[in-house]
Amino acid sequence: MAGITIRGLSKRFGARDGELAAVADLELDIKDNQFVTLLGPSGCGKTTTLRLIAGYITPDSGTIEVAGRLLSSPQAVVSPAERGMGMVFQNYAVWPHKTVFENVVFGLRLRKLPSSAARQKVADMLALVNLGGLEGRYPGELSGGQQQRVALARSLVVEPDILLLDEPLSNLDAKLRERMRTELKQLQRRTGITFVYVTHDQAEALALSDQVAVISGGRLQQYGTPFEVYAHPANRMVADFMGLVNLVPGRVRDMKNGVANVELTPDLTLGIAKVDGLSVGERVDVAIRPENIRLATPPEPATETLAKVALAKVTSHVFLGNLSEYEVTLPSGSVLRVQTHPLQQFTVGEPVAFEIDATQCSAFPRIRGERTPE
Amino acid sequence: MGGAVVALVILVVLPLMSLLLGSVRGEQGLSLDHFAEVLTGRLYVTALKNSLMLGAWTSLFSTIIGLTLAWAVSRTDVPAKPLLQLTATLSYLSPPFLTAIAFTYLFSPNAGILNVLMRDVVGLPWLTFNIFSMPGLVLVTVMHTFPFVYLLAASALQSVDASYEEAAQILGAGKLRTAFAITAPLVAPAVLSGALLGFVNAIALFGSQAIIGLPGRIVTLPTRIYALFDYPPEYGLASALSLVFVLITIVALYLQRAFLARRSYVTLAGKGSRLQLVRLGKMRFVLLGFGVVIFIVSIVAPFSTLIAVSFSKSWGLDFWKGLTFANYKFILFDYDVTRRAILNSLLLATLAATIAVLLGAVIGWIDLRTKIPGRRLLDYFALIPLGLPGIVVAVALIQFWLAMPVALYGTLAILLLAYVGRYIPLGVRAANAALRQIDPSLEESAQILGASWLTTMREVTLPLIRPGLFAGWLLVFVPVIQELSASILLFSSSSITLAVAIYNLYETGYIEPVAALAMINMVIIGAAIWLATKVGGSRILGRGDAAQDAAHGAGT
Repeated sequence: MAGITIRGLSKRFGARDGELAAVADLELDIKDNQFVTLLGPSGCGKTTTLRLIAGYITPDSGTIEVAGRLLSSPQAVVSPAERGMGMVFQNYAVWPHKTVFENVVFGLRLRKLPSSAARQKVADMLALVNLGGLEGRYPGELSGGQQQRVALARSLVVEPDILLLDEPLSNLDAKLRERMRTELKQLQRRTGITFVYVTHDQAEALALSDQVAVISGGRLQQYGTPFEVYAHPANRMVADFMGLVNLVPGRVRDMKNGVANVELTPDLTLGIAKVDGLSVGERVDVAIRPENIRLATPPEPATETLAKVALAKVTSHVFLGNLSEYEVTLPSGSVLRVQTHPLQQFTVGEPVAFEIDATQCSAFPRIRGERTPE
Repeated sequence: MGGAVVALVILVVLPLMSLLLGSVRGEQGLSLDHFAEVLTGRLYVTALKNSLMLGAWTSLFSTIIGLTLAWAVSRTDVPAKPLLQLTATLSYLSPPFLTAIAFTYLFSPNAGILNVLMRDVVGLPWLTFNIFSMPGLVLVTVMHTFPFVYLLAASALQSVDASYEEAAQILGAGKLRTAFAITAPLVAPAVLSGALLGFVNAIALFGSQAIIGLPGRIVTLPTRIYALFDYPPEYGLASALSLVFVLITIVALYLQRAFLARRSYVTLAGKGSRLQLVRLGKMRFVLLGFGVVIFIVSIVAPFSTLIAVSFSKSWGLDFWKGLTFANYKFILFDYDVTRRAILNSLLLATLAATIAVLLGAVIGWIDLRTKIPGRRLLDYFALIPLGLPGIVVAVALIQFWLAMPVALYGTLAILLLAYVGRYIPLGVRAANAALRQIDPSLEESAQILGASWLTTMREVTLPLIRPGLFAGWLLVFVPVIQELSASILLFSSSSITLAVAIYNLYETGYIEPVAALAMINMVIIGAAIWLATKVGGSRILGRGDAAQDAAHGAGT
């Protein structure tokens, strides 16, 4: 079926001097029937990757194969028209001079489908995306969300093996975005089409994907399930990009059985697993998600029975409705962001005990001269 | 503010009313005799037919040339794109009646130098071309009108989002299919709109129609109206014919607006991906060749001819044997008529541009910054002249001022009124554009600090809109310095203008001095344009809006 195999793919843009590598040496295996997200900050090369897969751009090096058929290489590129893929553009690209029906039927006409069969298929597809009855409208008369569905219907009606989506939800308002997200996911399950989805929104990627490919600076940073990339980021960039994270400076005190004991402050040490490549004495940044820190009123009098329990001071509080966010300052001066249940309340200025779930933390070597992100 | 209203009434409304009145005033009371005459009389129907034919052919060829060049520049890898762009810009700026005169030097049936060359030297008489014919008239007109299509089509082709075409491709459509099903319908409104602007502009050009058309016995609406002022002047018929003329223009402009409004969906999509240029291979040199031919015909040929003639003792195949400055000396120092004409034109253009822009600023300010009832109406009145061919403005002014107790006819004042009236839309548009770019909050923050209206204007508004106003000033100056269509009916020997002097010298057969005077005209225009690009940058030239303005602007 239609898996995509990308090998050593590179593409540069710009003048001969000062060229910018949009995609550098990308390796990616996208399995059939999967929902795969290319995630990264803007300008990271994710859209270029998608357009390389679609065949709009010729790679400088590397290959793209679909179901064992070579589609792109620096020597030859199969035209987008002959790839049998679908694509949904960021701006939808719904043709403004054609009605909804004419937009959707375009691909079927190209496939020389008898007009009655085409009519039926268009009607079915429009019903599927909840646009029944709007066949005669022009795009100018539709809302953003409706145009979005026309674009989807237009790509899906030709039954592609692969659907490419370039930030299709980024122009919608928050509520609609959430709904379309659910609909997209269901649609993918129902049709079994391979979705390759580009976004810069990590929440969207986590919610939708079977696999997430985190891309930065044109390079693949990590490829894994949403849980893997969130809970066990491969590097600091991924940790930072996948949501709120505290990056706290520390030093590796000792290593036993693949667990490194990292000292954050003299009286706070975390045992962190999976620390390949770290050595004793090395300076590191520890990535701690705000929801993996627990706050508690300190016991009276404060006991020092648990090494993990430490004392800090609450320095700010933001109420966010479904949760509360605190900033606590350690004696060392480091500041931690902590998210708690909204009913668990602390007062600014109050001392507080906290506990960190070390199993959900990661440690990355510090890069000389690099500032710790706050 | 009241002054602006009075000015508009005197400049535009009253002359139009007297045109209307003049057209229905018969021997006894009101009658439609004049209209009956101009709609059935053989002379008038022929003129009407010729004008429509000229407009239609001109639009057709403007579309072919303009669209081809626009497509080449916006969508292909054709080499030397700056040259192609320059061709369109220069063709748009060069005075069409000077192009017409230059072409008579080359192709007048007997003495035209290229005709002489082909017939007498090379011996291929079938390669001669009579410029005094409908094809000749279309040729010189198209060289001025194809930039309208070019500018609008190029901007449309560039603003069609690439994803529209890519979406068709991924669905399986080939290049040709995509071009016909997606791109063509999207840019068609802009192209049609450009063709209609070309049409309106073409039929209003008195200069080329008099220079090329009259010797070839091709009488058109402007030249027929002109003839009605031969003694005894037929004011009623001229008024009626003028109104028919205006009607054609307004219908065309209305269609043009309607088409252009539909263009809005070209820019509907948000930020799009960059366009992929079509790789033409060897074909790109063919396309470049086409562009170079247009460049030669529209720019190189007429201008090198004018330069050559202006330095010749006697124009002919061996003109280079007697090069001289005598023609320039004659028109600049010896002949007081041309000297006076140059000074008059400089004075009138300076005054007209200043007044048009100041009036425009006041009207624009009232429209955008106040809530005075009827302010929109003021704006509409200021745009009416866009629908009036130059010669019609002259007919209306004559009608009106002959009825007034003030003796304005034949003075510089009536020319000034004509110019300001014709070009007030350009002033309003420039001021509007400039005012739109400053947020009202800038003025409001001066007021909250305690500044009076006058202080606010002096300290905040005027300094901010000055570059825009100056650009508008030059936008009026350039067409006024070459204005012929209205001047030809309004001048007297003391108020003669540059363009009229050129036309009269040409008519009287002063072949070589005409070229010298034409060069002077070009130098003044060139200087003004150079100044304009210095001050206003590319804003002034080469934009779609410029073509809009020029619907009226460059028509001389």
